[in-house]
Parts: sequence; C-alpha cells; structure tokens
Amino acid sequence: MAPNSFFRSTNFRLLAWYAAVFGASVAILLFMVYWITLAALDEQLNDSVERETQVLIELYRGRGLDSVVRAIQLRAEELRAPRRYYLLQDKHGKRIAGNLPPMKATEGEMVLPVSFLYPDRRSKAEDPAGAYPIVARGRRLEKGEFLLVGESRYRSVKAHEAILRALGWGVAITVLLAAGGGAALGTGFLRRIEEINRTTRSIMDGDLSKRVPTRGGDDEMDHLAINLNAMLDRIQGLMESLKQVSDDIAHDLRTPLSRLRHQLETAREKAGADGAPVIEQSIADVDAILETFSALLRIAQIESGARRAAFSGVSLAQIVSTVSETYAPVAEDSGQRLKAIIDPTPTIHGDRELLTQMVANLIENSIRHCPAGVDITVRVGQESGSPVVCVADTGPGIPAAERDKVFRRFYRLEASRTTPGSGLGLALVKAVADLHDASAELSDNKPGLRCTVRFHAAGDGGAGTNSARGAPDTQAPHATA
Amino acid sequence: MKILLIEDDPHTSGYVAKGLRERGHVVEHSANGREGLLLASGGAYDVMVIDRMLPGLDGLAIVKTIRAAGTKAPVLLLTTLGGVNDRVEGLEAGADDYLTKPFAFAELLARVNALARRPPMTEEATVLRVADLELNLLKRTVTRGGKKLDLQTQEFRLLEYLMRNAGQVVTRTMLLENVWGFHFDPHTSVVETHISRLRAKVDREFDNDLIHTVRGSGYSLNGSE
Repeated sequence: MAPNSFFRSTNFRLLAWYAAVFGASVAILLFMVYWITLAALDEQLNDSVERETQVLIELYRGRGLDSVVRAIQLRAEELRAPRRYYLLQDKHGKRIAGNLPPMKATEGEMVLPVSFLYPDRRSKAEDPAGAYPIVARGRRLEKGEFLLVGESRYRSVKAHEAILRALGWGVAITVLLAAGGGAALGTGFLRRIEEINRTTRSIMDGDLSKRVPTRGGDDEMDHLAINLNAMLDRIQGLMESLKQVSDDIAHDLRTPLSRLRHQLETAREKAGADGAPVIEQSIADVDAILETFSALLRIAQIESGARRAAFSGVSLAQIVSTVSETYAPVAEDSGQRLKAIIDPTPTIHGDRELLTQMVANLIENSIRHCPAGVDITVRVGQESGSPVVCVADTGPGIPAAERDKVFRRFYRLEASRTTPGSGLGLALVKAVADLHDASAELSDNKPGLRCTVRFHAAGDGGAGTNSARGAPDTQAPHATA
Repeated sequence: MKILLIEDDPHTSGYVAKGLRERGHVVEHSANGREGLLLASGGAYDVMVIDRMLPGLDGLAIVKTIRAAGTKAPVLLLTTLGGVNDRVEGLEAGADDYLTKPFAFAELLARVNALARRPPMTEEATVLRVADLELNLLKRTVTRGGKKLDLQTQEFRLLEYLMRNAGQVVTRTMLLENVWGFHFDPHTSVVETHISRLRAKVDREFDNDLIHTVRGSGYSLNGSE
C-alpha cells in the first residue's frame, strides 16, 4: 500500500474525525472541571475570610480592641503561606495593627491586586504566597474602627495552573491515542479491503478461481467476504456452464459435420468427373459452416476473458510489421497498395496470437471491401502516450450511422452482401480489443474508412487493472515493412 | 510406419485408420483412454494420433503420462474444441502438433508424415539442398544452379519450411501456422499469393519445377521429378 493512498482513504478521514471529536470532548470536560473547581476554591476562600472576620469581631465585642490588636499581631507573625492578611485602622484611617498598608475604609468583599501589597515591588520575591492577589473583606466596627481580613489566592491560582496543564496534556494524549488506535484498527481494515481489491483484480484478469480470504471470525468484513465469494462461486458456475454448453454444442454439432465432410471426401474419390465438382462445392459449403461456427466459439471464448491469464509483453510494432509484410503482396495482387508506417511503440501486455489475428482481420477487411486502385495504410504508433494501431483505406467507406453496427456479429452492409465472408471479422476485432481494455472505433478517412484501436500503455493504470500486471515498459525495436 | 490411433468416435477412427492403411501404414487402434495408454507405453510407434476427449482417461493426461515415462514418439492431438487455449494446453502437455476436427484426411496425413520425418533437434543443418537449389541459413542466401536468387524475408522463410519438408506434402494450414504464425484461417489468398511469388523466383527461369501443387492437399517441394 502506497503511503499516499492512506491519506486518501476513508479510513484516514474517519480517523481525523474520531481524533477531533475525542479531543474536543476531553477539552470540554476538563474545562468544566476547571470552572467548577475554581468556583469552589473561591467560595472556600470567601468562607474562610468570613469566618476569620467573625472570630475577630466577636473578640472585639467580648474583649475589646486591645485583644483584637494582640490577636492580629500574633497571627501575622505566626501564619505562613498561604498567609492571611489583616488591617486594623482607627476611625481616622490610621493603622493600629496588621500586615497591610493603610487604605481607604471600604466595607464588603474585594480583591486586592499584588500591586497593592507591594507598592514599591521590592520585597516581592521573598514570599511566593505574597505574589498572589488577596481576597479580602472589610468591616467597620461599632466604635468606628475599620477591620480588613484577607487571604491569598495562592491555592486558587495554583489549581488554575494545574488544571490548565492537565487540559493541555489530556487533549494531546487523547488525540494521540485516538489516532494511534484508529490507525491500528484502520490498517487492518484497509488490508482486508486491499485483499478484496486484489482478488477482484485477478478475477477481472481472467483467474476465476480466486476467492477473498476469510478470517473465520463472525464480523461484517467476513460476512462481506463470504457474500462476495458466494457471488463469485455463482459467476464461476455460470461461466463454466456457458463454457460447457458451448463445448457441448461444438462437440455435438461438429461431430456430425465432421462425418459429413469425411463422407463427402470419400465420395469425391469414388465419383467420376461428373460428380466431383458438385461434391467439391459441398465440401466448401460444409467448411464455410464449420468456419462460422469456429469463429463464433472463438469470439465467445475471447469474451470470457480466460485468455488474459496468459498475457505477456508483446510488441505491437513487430506484429503490425509482420502482418502487413504478409498482406502487401495480397493487396498488390488485388491491384491495391498497402503501406505500413511503423513508429516506435511501447510494449503492451497482451496476447500475440489474437493481436495478430486482429490486425490481419482489419487489413483483410480493407482488401476485401475495396476496389482495385485504393491505398491501404497501416500505422502503428503512439498518440498522447497510448499505443495505437490504425488501418485506413481510400475505398467506399461506411456511412456514419452504420459504423457502430458493423462490430456486431453477422452484421453486413448492403453493399457487401455479395462478397463472401461470415460477417464476424470485425466482431472478432472488437472482442480482441475489449479483451485488451482497448477501444476500437471507425471513422471517416475522407474518403474511405479508418479503423483505430487505442491501447493502454503497459504500466499505465488503464481500467485500474493494468498496473497490477507489471509488464515491462520497454521500447519496441524500430521496424519498417 | 507404425501408427497408434486413440479415438473413441467409431466413424472418425474408421475413416482415419482406413485412409492410413490404404497408404501402407500399420495402424493400431484403441477407443478407450486407459487401454490406449497401455498400448502407448508398451509398443514402439513412429507416430501417435490421440483424441483429446476420451472415455476413461482424456488425451491430455495420456500425453502427459507417456512424456513423463520418457516416450519420445511424436504425438498429434485431435480435438473438437477449436478453443483459443486448447492448442497451447496441448503443446504444453507434450504433444507435437494439434489438429482441430473436422479435418480433411489430406491434412492429417501431411501432419503425420511431417511428424514422423521430423529431424532430431541436435542435427541443425546450416545449408539445405534440394536438387540444384541451395539455401544457406547462416548467410541467408539462396542459389539455384549456382545462380543467386533474391528473396524477401517471408519468401525465404517459406522456402526454408518447404525445403525442410522436401518430398512431403505441406498443407495450407501447416504453412500458415509455421511460416506466418497465423493460427486462424485468413479470408484472402495469403498462401497462394506468396507461393506464386516464390515460384516466380525459384522455378520460372529453370527447366524443371521444384514447387508442386498437390490437388486437394497443399504443396510439395520435390526435386526428383
């Protein structure tokens, strides 16, 4: 599997979504934890400050101002981080006790910033707890004094930092786990899809006996494999019965025809000069029937695709060169001129015997349906990277409306009804072209007919199957007829 | 020649055996695959003609078995299947030639003769001679009566095949298969055209013709007449 195909796969898209959704859920969850924890910590802080304030107010009411002053002095000395802060001012705003600078008497809850604690910022580094803002509560006492109790937000800030760190790590780990787990699961999944693809490719290449491997588990992939295999069994069964039927027809019809031919041959030996020509003609007729029959069976067998299993690297240039060399004298004898243009053509993956017959049929089609004096040009070459075989003549041509029909079996143009032939020549051309994933088309040669067969270069991913066949991509030797 | 015929269709076997006997050959016949295999492994035959579809044991299996046992006698495989893969399968199993039913007796006879006289592979002559005609395979030259003949590539190949089978009948199909590699029947006179061109070069300017047409069968290159 190419690394590229992984990123294009369904699996990768699923994986990306999976990781994103999981990462987001973890982020939302931790964010809520953060929110609730901070709120709880702040509330706890407020309660603590409130309780301390109450304690001092009760002391003030019960024992008087001096006790409060002593208590504050004692606590300010003893308490370490997270430390509390106290401020006691008389009604003129003068500080009586505490570890905070004097301030404007304000009742109620407040948050004092770090800058309030250390206006000159010199002693900041001495006490880590001091570097945090203070949650405080101011109360005016009965005789006009002002009491402020505060507590550092140290815990709250630390918790805040810890939760943010957890959030970062949590999301990162979740995404990694999701990606890793997904990739592990997905690779297995992709491998099984690839197994199915490989099997279908070799089946398309003609090996009908291939089956998708199953794991013996009871999962959906196995169900898919089992269903595909059942379908393939059925197709193979159908193909075999088709082959069986055609073989049976071949055997059962050709045997009596064989005997007929043998009897005619025996009769010819015994017949005198009078009977011989009639018997000769009968033998020729039997041969024509048998030939049509063979051609039909041959086309059916080519169409079944079984021949693909025996494909090998073939040079189209060489085939076209040999066949046109063979037919040049034949054309010359019919008063036509056959010219071959052989350009370097990439090797294709195919069947030499069938391709030879295809080129021969195309040339014969021109020789037989054209009058004397025409030019027939056979060309093999490359058009935009694809190997192309083209046979063009300057004969009568075929009307545009009829061009596709002549590839059908037994279809014959009105004009050629009188010339001998089975009407199967071009049907075979089409069958051979289809077998090679090539396209066969007829066009106007202005004047005349041009038949072009366009192949896929070996190694080009034509029909998605050629790449798997791995034919060499060498240049054909340059040859001229 | 001593020929073994394994063929289940009584009509075909009768016709083939009768024809071969009329031409002076000794024919042993079996209509059953297993019995045929016993005969094939036992006796020394010059040529074996084996049908592909047989009761008991099919023709391909017989050929494979006798080849595995070291029997070297040439085998001509007969079949009713004109299938595209059958010829290759037959040759891969070890058969030497392949003939599709129905066939003309002349075709079978020509192929049996060609198989029986096939020279051993080791003895590869570089110069072929028939009467005053001489073909040099290394220099790719042809002379007749000392006069150099100018032949095209395909004419050379055609003459080479005729000379290798000199004195025997070679059929049109044998020429198509062996000279041009065509395993189908062309609808134009490919063989006739090439033969007539070859004749023009080999025979026209000389007193006696070497290339003869055998009516109803094919051609023969013969220097003795």
